[in-house]
Amino acid sequence: MIYEHPKYSPGGDRYMLIQFGDEMNLDLNFMGQGLASALEGDAITGVIETAPCFASMLIHYEPSQISYDDLQREVGSLVESLGPSDDIEMSSRLFYFQTMYIDPWTKECIDTYREKINPDKEYDPELITRLNDLDDVAQFVRVHSGTEYWAASLGFWPGLAFLMPLDPRCRLTVPKYNPPRTWTPQGSVGMGGMSTGIYPVATPGGYQIFGRTPVPIWDKDGRFEEFNGELCLLRPGDRLKFVPCTQDEFEEIEHQVDEGRYKYNVIEYQRFSVRNYKQWVSKLDQTKRF
Amino acid sequence: MAHEVTLQTAGNMWKVLVKIGDTVKAGDTLFIMEVMKMEVPHEAPDDGVVKAVHVEEGAEGLDAGMIAVEIE
Amino acid sequence: MFEVIKPGLETSVQDWPGRYGYWNQGFPPSGPMDSWSFRLGNVLVGNEPGTAGLECQYIGPSLKFRRDTVIALTGANMQAKLEGESCPMWESISILSGQTLELTFASEGARAYITIAGGIAVEPLLGSRSTFHKAGVGGMGGSALRAEQIVPVGDGKGEPGRRVREAARPLIRTDKRWEIEAVAGPNDDWIDTQGHERFLSADWKLSSKSDRTGFRLEGPDWSFTPKATNKLPEHGEEPSNIIDQGYPLGAINLAGQTPIILVNDGPSMGGFINPYTVPQCAFWKLGQAKPGEILNFKLVTVAEAQKSAAEIGALCDESSIE
Repeated sequence: MIYEHPKYSPGGDRYMLIQFGDEMNLDLNFMGQGLASALEGDAITGVIETAPCFASMLIHYEPSQISYDDLQREVGSLVESLGPSDDIEMSSRLFYFQTMYIDPWTKECIDTYREKINPDKEYDPELITRLNDLDDVAQFVRVHSGTEYWAASLGFWPGLAFLMPLDPRCRLTVPKYNPPRTWTPQGSVGMGGMSTGIYPVATPGGYQIFGRTPVPIWDKDGRFEEFNGELCLLRPGDRLKFVPCTQDEFEEIEHQVDEGRYKYNVIEYQRFSVRNYKQWVSKLDQTKRF
Repeated sequence: MAHEVTLQTAGNMWKVLVKIGDTVKAGDTLFIMEVMKMEVPHEAPDDGVVKAVHVEEGAEGLDAGMIAVEIE
Repeated sequence: MFEVIKPGLETSVQDWPGRYGYWNQGFPPSGPMDSWSFRLGNVLVGNEPGTAGLECQYIGPSLKFRRDTVIALTGANMQAKLEGESCPMWESISILSGQTLELTFASEGARAYITIAGGIAVEPLLGSRSTFHKAGVGGMGGSALRAEQIVPVGDGKGEPGRRVREAARPLIRTDKRWEIEAVAGPNDDWIDTQGHERFLSADWKLSSKSDRTGFRLEGPDWSFTPKATNKLPEHGEEPSNIIDQGYPLGAINLAGQTPIILVNDGPSMGGFINPYTVPQCAFWKLGQAKPGEILNFKLVTVAEAQKSAAEIGALCDESSIE
């Protein structure tokens, strides 16, 4: 459900959670990002930072500069003034990420999990294929890679991006690992619930994994100029396309990355219009998959 | 010469590796505590025979400084 | 500068209030858990509030100073000795080049702070010198101190012999029981009345599987309102699952039936509910609580919590020096 008015709750003495609804709906994320954009330019004194998530947004504020009640009032006014989410238009970079689907590294990781933790774990790509009524793993790859992904939020781990498919014909859903894995190869591409994630470094995790990208999204040593001095490549509101590649191509890119020569394929002149996006979606036959 | 091996930190007793009567050499691990998800091994300061063990595996919330093992 | 002779259990460079502005990239603020003690330490040695110092946890380090300086020890008592002589706490102390400061285990509390005139002079990363060692960011190369490291110190004019008056210091309990403030929300409406009563009346034991990413608590089960069970499947299967949301610092995060207080190095978002949040004014207590100790939660309003934090802030300046 999309709430008619956002719900505001305190998070201790310094945080406010704003919930736009209680379902996985891109509209709710657009609202959060639109609000985050509006707050970036010092719109409300006392706001330190914001963190949009799928259907909500967290605000970190300074109580000595603004009270919780005043903050709620001012955010409420700002939300009203922003109007419907359809009016939202924002700059949105588009990245192309070469990705090896059904790669040997995630397979090895799954095999280890089966050996050490749960021998009954169904092989992740097959599980996703089965649960989403796809013909075969090849169709899963076509469907998963067939859409641009919207960076809904970053978190849980620095730089870990949560991506939502923009093309509704490419929506898939899977449960998470239970219990979670204790590690995941760096660059693994996986899904949990309806979102796709890229693991920035080797971390524990619960997403079903099925591919690996050699393109770094984490740059602690400042080796790539596309990071603009930050450690994390992606921002909420970026888009990403997974471009299936072979193992040879993967290894060639890995080589380029190691040598600091890799050039990101990023398109930076586009603006994302929610209205245009919705118009496009309304014309699609959502019963047909790739 | 008698030695009292005391707990170097507050925490839990994860593993107790010796019992009364065991012969130990300097540097042998006597027990391992756990705090902040980290292991803190405690070693024998000298060669000797374990005279007393005052801690049990699985004990929680122990205080730093308490006497855990006595060696003669 | 000083040399690390023994690193202690996990000693790291921190500054207050830590790393702000990167929550939306997944960076927690880090910074000192007991910021009350830390801030007073900086006041004692004449440092500006944002200056970096050391946080020592459970077992403190041994440091050999390579320059004359002034330091202060605040927080937990780690029985510090300077060249074999006992050092006072809550007081600025003169150190001569070549002298070694040795801390051992905390006899009371868990975290001690060492502040040095001029502060720790590592390069800030993303606006802060605080260490977030899980991601290898900040402080000394992104991790806790290691033996043989040389740690740079800035220039500062500290005066020895300054003391924090006793009434201005946090009182570290020795009865193994702490009253911790808790503000209801953001997801308090997912817990039913009995669940709230149980949370606020129980003795919650601090598990030793606790560290700067989270303080795991052992206690009674939680029970839920229909909101937790009549929800769309995309939230997840367990009653405490919710569509991934941002986590406030101090959130009491309910992973299944296990509450974990998300502290300074905790995750910025995730898919579990947060029925309560520990406000900033109680963080120093969390920082000094040891595994096995009991936490009792006391419900406070946002305004009350903010007032308590402001009162602590008012103590962290020259007015507390006698």
